[in-house]
Amino acid sequence: MRLLRALGLILLFAAGFGAPAHADEGELRTIIAKFATSKNFRETEAVVRELAATGDPAVGRPLGALADGNLSFRKSDGQVFIVSEAGGALTLLDPLSGGRSGEAASREVTKVRVNNSLRRAVREAIGALTLNSPDAGVRLSAAETMFRSPDPEAIDALDAAIAVEAVANVKSRMEEARAAAVLASDLGDSEKLAALKTIERRGDRTALSLLAAVKGRADGVLKGAAARSAANVRETLSAWDAAQNVWFGISLGSVLLLAAIGLAITFGVMGVINMAHGEMVMLGAYTTFVVQNVIRASYPGLFDWSLAIALPLAFLVAGGVGLIIERGVIRFLYGRPLETLLATWGVSLILQQAVRTIFGPTNREVGNPSWMSGAFEIGQMSITWNRLWIVVFAFTVFAVLLYVFKFTAWGLHMRAVTQNRRMAASMGIRTPWVDALTFALGSGIAGIAGVALSQIDNVSPNLGQGYIIDSFMVVVFGGVGNLWGTFVGAMTLGVVNKFLEPYAGAVLGKIIVLVLIILFIQKRPRGLFALKGRSVEA
Amino acid sequence: MITQRLFVAGLTPRIQIVIALLVGAAVLVPVLNLAFPPSSPFHVPNYMVALVGKYLCYALLALALDLVWGYCGILSLGHGAFFALGGYAMGMYLMRQIGARGVYGNPDLPDFMVFLNWKELPWYWHGFDQFWFAAIMIMAVPGLLAFVFGWFAFRSRVTGVYLSIITQAMTYALLLAFFRNDMGFGGNNGLTDFKDILGFPVQASATRSALFAASALALAAGIALVAAIAGSKLGKLMVAVRDAESRTRFIGWRPENVKLFAFTVSAVMAGIAGALYVPQVGIINPGEFAPANSIEVVVWTAIGGRGTIVGPILGALLVNAGKSWFTGALPELWLFALGGLFVAVTLFLPKGIVGTYDQWRAVRRERRLAKADLPSGPAEAGDVRIVRASSATSPVPQGGPEPQPAE
Amino acid sequence: MTKNHTILYLDGVSVSFDGFKAINNLSLVLDKGEMRAIIGPNGAGKTTMMDIITGKTRPDEGEVFFDGTIDLTRHDEADIAMMGIGRKFQKPTVFESHTVEDNLLLSMKGPRSIFPALVHRGSIGEARRIDEILATVRLEARRADLAANLSHGQKQWLEIGMLLAQDPKLLLVDEPVAGMTDAETEETARLLREISKTRSVVVVEHDMHFVRELDVKVTCLHEGSVLSEGSLDFVSSDERVVEVYLGR
Repeated sequence: MRLLRALGLILLFAAGFGAPAHADEGELRTIIAKFATSKNFRETEAVVRELAATGDPAVGRPLGALADGNLSFRKSDGQVFIVSEAGGALTLLDPLSGGRSGEAASREVTKVRVNNSLRRAVREAIGALTLNSPDAGVRLSAAETMFRSPDPEAIDALDAAIAVEAVANVKSRMEEARAAAVLASDLGDSEKLAALKTIERRGDRTALSLLAAVKGRADGVLKGAAARSAANVRETLSAWDAAQNVWFGISLGSVLLLAAIGLAITFGVMGVINMAHGEMVMLGAYTTFVVQNVIRASYPGLFDWSLAIALPLAFLVAGGVGLIIERGVIRFLYGRPLETLLATWGVSLILQQAVRTIFGPTNREVGNPSWMSGAFEIGQMSITWNRLWIVVFAFTVFAVLLYVFKFTAWGLHMRAVTQNRRMAASMGIRTPWVDALTFALGSGIAGIAGVALSQIDNVSPNLGQGYIIDSFMVVVFGGVGNLWGTFVGAMTLGVVNKFLEPYAGAVLGKIIVLVLIILFIQKRPRGLFALKGRSVEA
Repeated sequence: MITQRLFVAGLTPRIQIVIALLVGAAVLVPVLNLAFPPSSPFHVPNYMVALVGKYLCYALLALALDLVWGYCGILSLGHGAFFALGGYAMGMYLMRQIGARGVYGNPDLPDFMVFLNWKELPWYWHGFDQFWFAAIMIMAVPGLLAFVFGWFAFRSRVTGVYLSIITQAMTYALLLAFFRNDMGFGGNNGLTDFKDILGFPVQASATRSALFAASALALAAGIALVAAIAGSKLGKLMVAVRDAESRTRFIGWRPENVKLFAFTVSAVMAGIAGALYVPQVGIINPGEFAPANSIEVVVWTAIGGRGTIVGPILGALLVNAGKSWFTGALPELWLFALGGLFVAVTLFLPKGIVGTYDQWRAVRRERRLAKADLPSGPAEAGDVRIVRASSATSPVPQGGPEPQPAE
Repeated sequence: MTKNHTILYLDGVSVSFDGFKAINNLSLVLDKGEMRAIIGPNGAGKTTMMDIITGKTRPDEGEVFFDGTIDLTRHDEADIAMMGIGRKFQKPTVFESHTVEDNLLLSMKGPRSIFPALVHRGSIGEARRIDEILATVRLEARRADLAANLSHGQKQWLEIGMLLAQDPKLLLVDEPVAGMTDAETEETARLLREISKTRSVVVVEHDMHFVRELDVKVTCLHEGSVLSEGSLDFVSSDERVVEVYLGR
């Protein structure tokens, strides 16, 4: 009966949002009322056919209830209800809307009696209603439902539907449902072998479990064929799994890239480890929160634009704080990288506590604009929009930075200072300004990373802490002085992490990655893309 | 003979005083706690014994860090890991001591294992029912980890900020690992509900006083050890490695071995500190591995004065006393204060309290000397002695070379 | 030519950093007991050559032999220092937070492992040796001062003193007189000549006056290989050397 109930639900869904044929509600109720007066199974079946003939999806509910044996009528007035039993008393539900319409003791109602042939009639009626629904979406979900709960008796209905189906993907779903039904039936091996092929073409996890079930109960030729098909499907699936993992890896890599790239810039140019970098990310996320709050309160229509508004603001807020930190603390500590590390750690504690004091210690809700919600599918892969946008965003930020570094005067200055600070200074580059602006830039980028991360992570005062060690790992792994090092480092770590996860679990995977990096740094103490030659050693 | 020679080397009067104070406290505090009734003005309350005992463990940890950072130039951001490992080793002993008195009454398995439906004790829990075995593990586990980690890191010449970051990664990886239930260390909750240590109830005042005395004596021994190392030729070599690593290499030393020695000794000290800490606070959980904890140890050392022996102890006591006061009186402000402390110390007090005091004294003495005997040369016999004495608390050079990205 | 009688033997050595050839097919032979001056414009590969000899940089190709038989490319800095090659850096590098005496103590020939250092106790022989070296480098009066407080020239001398304490067979001395007064320069030349009586020495120097004072065979490097070799007069009259220095 699962299939029936599922199909009934599809109908209801279609009724709720529905476009398809709507009979007059009064007319439907008149027909339904006849259940109370029918004297035998034959008459009841006639009522079922009459209901089905209306073509209205709303009949799914009473029909489903009938098949389940939940349809009753009140003795006193002959009104028909769906009955659900809870704690002795019966709750009466309206047969069409499903809303509560009262209670009754069990002796006050009479059940509409059903037998197997009646159930079959109901099933055919609902199957026909859904498979022939004018709405392609309803037909598709009906076919999908029938695939999941294959029923040999639905073959005829499916054949009829396939014959008239015009939409290609609905048709192939129906064929798969038919194949599943064939495999569950007692038809001959040749039919079943063809059905196996159809299911193998489908190639997803449900197909695999179906094939496994067939393999379990079949014997002879069929068993071998099912095993082969299952193996093929498994192969396809593992390819898709790999693709999905790569995607997750790229997605994680993009997040790491966003979080780490500002760090890599400040470390590369200034030799400064900014332990407060994570807090810059957090400031960006809170900026998004504030922007969204203002928009919700004053200009609700702009909500879809909230991230676009938050981006420049987050850049300015985090960059401004960065500039203050550089001018107020770091510039007094140049040449003492370890002390800078400690001082910026102190700054990070202060920033965290400040945010905790202002916004509270709990997570803050940052909404996804509509264009960042939901997901879509490619083959067996599911891709969520917010992840996709973050990947796009990270790549864009990276490209812009590459451009700034390669083609602007400021970028040239930064590169010069990275390679040889003293020489750059003697060439007339004002290294203190380069330092200050670089630090502000690195912090600003952390800020916009915060805007992106607010979409996929909890916005709390500890947000930054979660990313800082991973960002360090990216920088250490990728090496400094080259943006590509950070890019390759972030993507490698992201993908490796996601490939380890299925085997080792998320936490153990992360531990393994950390250990691998610790080992890697033994081989390449200055990362993948290190500067070489005498200048480094000097 | 050898030990005698070792111990004379670095023991300046100041260090002798501190050791004497600690030994005195180890005797006096238990007496004041146990012999006087709570109404007496001489009574030291139980909570005070526990609190100061905890601080002394922290001081030992800070001293351990100072040995690698102050003397050898290795800024370890993962010393909390060695502390926690020593603590876990002690915690495992204490768990085994609970025996059948746990909630589930299982004589072999600690409660959390029964809760997780484990049938038998994991192999690495065997032996911890014996104190001598636990005592060896308290030193061996942190020491071995430091040795292996250092062997890889120092040999491949990972230095400076890079080294700091991978030590942080090390403690972070351990944090994640110990949070896992199937590691067999009690997961999130860690090890707690201890009953006995060496047959004495951990909660009893007498046991607490004994633990306090043990902490004070361990710290005194730690000071003597660090002073001996610092005063030896090896200690001079450590400072040389800190200031000019490649120079030591070109005169035939292997700085990686020097660092490895200091790192391993330091880790063992940290492990002992952790082991003394756990029975006094009654719990050990993965939170001790948090990178933030290790960084806090760095600030204690920095405030007191790295490269000095008394400094880190002073720093640990001051900061933790401050923390206790703040979290009682103004909990909201503690992190502001701690953060401000980090910034202020690095900016205004780079040598720390003791280092700054020593510098001030040296300047004053120089002026006095210059006034007293203007005509005589600088190679006076008295001068020699003074300079040598002050070199035991080796000054950390400030400034240094310009920023180099890769260093 | 056999390498058996040489103290230092480089043949066909090349090394490059990211495509830039710092040393290009360099060959150089130093006899036992010889002092050699090496000159050459900036970037000629003088320091990189020292890096190769002392094991800091591995050559991409070529042979480097010490004392005729020891292949230096197979050893690291500490090993090489222990075999008897001492090196003074271009920028004087001493242990600034130690006294002059401790600087020498740490450099003193002897076991280089951890535990002997931990239980080390000065002997009378060692004290005498330190006295001798202090006298040689004229730092007796500064014995107990921190090395950080020495003048630039004194630091250079202390570094040479540290080399002597190592008791090496071969000294590599990189620009020993940079930043010295004329008097100090002469004094250094005298010191090096003194040292070269018992040891082999390679001196890298720009100061022609100083090189002339050393009065030894000169090798001129250019773009990572030997341009000219011979007496100073011979080398400085070599057309190519003049061209390289004056950049025609």
